[in-house]
Amino acid sequence: MDFNEHELYRAAIHGDRDAFEMIIRTHSRRLFAITYGILQNREEAEDAVQDALVKAWKSRWRVRDPKKFPAWLTMIARHRARDVYRKRRLVPFSDDMTKPLEQESPTNTGTESLDRHVHSALAALPEIYRSALMLRYFEEMDYRTIENILGLSNGALRGILGRALASMRKQLRPALASLEQS
Amino acid sequence: MTIHDNIDNYLAADLHNELSDKERDALHAHLVECAACREMHQENKIMNKVLEKTLTTEKPDPAFEQRMLAGFRNRNPRKTGGIAKLIVDLMRLRATQITAVAALLLALVQIGRMITGEGASVSRSREISAEMNERQDFKKDDDAVGPAVGGGLSAPMQTKVEDKPDVASFASKSTDLNRPESGAASDQLQVQPEFRDKAVARSAKVAPITAPQSTGASENQTATPNEGAESSALPSAVANRKLIRNAKIELEVESFDTTVQKITAFVNEERGYVATTSSEKQANGKLRGEVVVKVIPENLDRFLQKVRGLGVLKNQSLGTEDVTKAYFDTDSRLKNARVMEQRLIDILKTKTGKVSDLLQVEKELGRVREEIEKMQGALKYMDAMVQFATVTISLTEKDLEEPAAFLLKERAQLALYAPEVEKVYNDIKALASPKTQITNAQLDRDNIGRISARLSILIAPGESEGLIARVKAMGRVENFQVQTERIAQGGTGMSENAKTKRDKVELNITISREEQEEAYQQSSLRIRTSKVDERTKELRNLTGKQNGRIRSLSFSRDPDGREFANVSLRVPMRNYNALMQSLNSLGKVENVSVQRQDRTGGQIDEANAPADLSIQIYSQGNIVSHESGLFATLRRTLAQSAAAIMWSLRMIGVALAFLAPWVIALVAVVWIGKRVARAGRR
Repeated sequence: MDFNEHELYRAAIHGDRDAFEMIIRTHSRRLFAITYGILQNREEAEDAVQDALVKAWKSRWRVRDPKKFPAWLTMIARHRARDVYRKRRLVPFSDDMTKPLEQESPTNTGTESLDRHVHSALAALPEIYRSALMLRYFEEMDYRTIENILGLSNGALRGILGRALASMRKQLRPALASLEQS
Repeated sequence: MTIHDNIDNYLAADLHNELSDKERDALHAHLVECAACREMHQENKIMNKVLEKTLTTEKPDPAFEQRMLAGFRNRNPRKTGGIAKLIVDLMRLRATQITAVAALLLALVQIGRMITGEGASVSRSREISAEMNERQDFKKDDDAVGPAVGGGLSAPMQTKVEDKPDVASFASKSTDLNRPESGAASDQLQVQPEFRDKAVARSAKVAPITAPQSTGASENQTATPNEGAESSALPSAVANRKLIRNAKIELEVESFDTTVQKITAFVNEERGYVATTSSEKQANGKLRGEVVVKVIPENLDRFLQKVRGLGVLKNQSLGTEDVTKAYFDTDSRLKNARVMEQRLIDILKTKTGKVSDLLQVEKELGRVREEIEKMQGALKYMDAMVQFATVTISLTEKDLEEPAAFLLKERAQLALYAPEVEKVYNDIKALASPKTQITNAQLDRDNIGRISARLSILIAPGESEGLIARVKAMGRVENFQVQTERIAQGGTGMSENAKTKRDKVELNITISREEQEEAYQQSSLRIRTSKVDERTKELRNLTGKQNGRIRSLSFSRDPDGREFANVSLRVPMRNYNALMQSLNSLGKVENVSVQRQDRTGGQIDEANAPADLSIQIYSQGNIVSHESGLFATLRRTLAQSAAAIMWSLRMIGVALAFLAPWVIALVAVVWIGKRVARAGRR
């Protein structure tokens, strides 16, 4: 870990607001990637990141080792996103909202339907797969960084991304075929 | 594991450009061979593009970070609570936490000590004693330094500097001579160890310089020992000494008046004067007096020689008081005050400054002038005292102590017991006449109805015997005492010529009711009988027959069926034995005990003196008492177990009382800690 980064985390833990805001600047996008991976909804994901940041600031003193600060931040964001996700599933009308979408799908044009297919394929993936994918595709991170953030080994990450792509490929095959045709 | 089995992973990593060169070569080699994998590769590539395209639209916009920051700032406004935040931040450090806990424990211990009053006072007193030792050391050193240095530099001198400006200037002058090694004298106002050492080292050099000048200034408290040495070195100083001489003589003479005349003659010879004479005539006609004489000090000794010849010398003392120091002190202070006065006058003359300042100056001037007058007065007084020596001559005539007369004083007292106190009291009061004066009469009735009276009577000498006899007839007399005293008047000892006179007789009488009289003899006994009630009645009759009275009677019956009658009665002593004889007829007499009080002093009318008897007549009760048997045992066991439970409850209470303060303290600490932690999180 970079020495300056380390110092930054330490300052933030000790209550330096400027340091913490610096961390917000540098880390909020990857947090968004993770929450988006879980929630698949931009507004909700943003709110989750916001909540996670506030929560992190309030309980920053719990982190004893500055090295673990990013991982800890990620964990908070992930928990927050899961909470939101769980609540959303409890609300019944969300089901009603997804159904009409599916019914409308055939009438939609190609790209839109492809988007929808992509999303539904993503939704079918396990959460950690989605987080890894988002970090890769949103932030174009290399594997090492993703491993750090998600706390995975290199082999595990490769497996996850490989299986994620394979699974999506299987689901998207018909759509892709139509795309190739067109 | 082959590439084919893991093709998904390899394809993904290849798309994401995360394969090492070797891996990529191996994959491409495999793709060339394997058609299925090649197809998947193609599909993946397309999907990668689709994903990139799709997800890029979902990417957060550039203002995302700003939004996050703004939201964060909105929800977490910067706090400006300085100290609280600082404390909260500090509390997060492990070291601070430990220190705080330690401080808390220490504070608890100290509070405990304070409450129990232990420890603290002990250590304090130890400190004080240490301090005292140190002081004593200082003092010793000072004493050693003082005489060597003379008046100029010793420690006591330094403390004096403050209230004597002229001496201070003198002292600083003398130290100025040694300034290179000593430093300013004003720095040395406090006695410091280093200073003392220096002073010792310097003393040898300082002494010769300061000695000639120090005649006035060295007359302080510590300087007395070196006075002699100094005066021998400087003979001129003796002439300036201010000595007050005085003498006291006690003489026994034949005649006061002739002696005073002779003394007056001597005084005139010695150029003095008689200041005061006083005399006092004793009861036996002898004179005692005092003559105060002032003579010139030089003639004092000769004068005393002469006076001694006038009578028998009883006592003589000769004293000299040296007021030189006080005199010169006052003198120099007076000079200073004069300078001050002049300065103040100058200020008033120039009249610059505010009115209030001038008023202040005026006031100060008044004060200084008053001081000047006082000092002048003191100097004048001292001058006068020095000019003349004072001789106080006490004269007494011979046989001064012989008494003039004797007085025979008689004092009688008696205690009277009568059935009716008030009647006797009034009877005695009726005896009053010019020769029988009642000086004090008092009738008391206390809150339980007891009545007593007290009378003091003064009787003319001739009347006393008859009157006392009449009083005695009014009741039972107890404790009659007569005391006679011969008092010498106007002197002590024996005298052949003195007459003896009888004085009035003083009679003190106390009257009480008969019942209140303490019994001469007290007896107690028990009578066992089967018929308590009947026997009690019989006892009452017997008592009546023997001139006695029942004083109290009580009857009781206990659960076992035993009956008790407690009778207390009083009979005159002469009938006592007869009554005791007759008691045998009532039943079996047991436990007889007799107690007689010896009354010291005063005669006792033994036949009529009261004897108290307390008799318990009782019967034996049931064979089996209520205190034994099955139920009683059960009851007792239950009572004991209840008592045991109560005891253990009490012990629990004690334990709680011991633990409670600690538990409370612990809970408080934990609670505060939690609050601090919570405050920190917010």
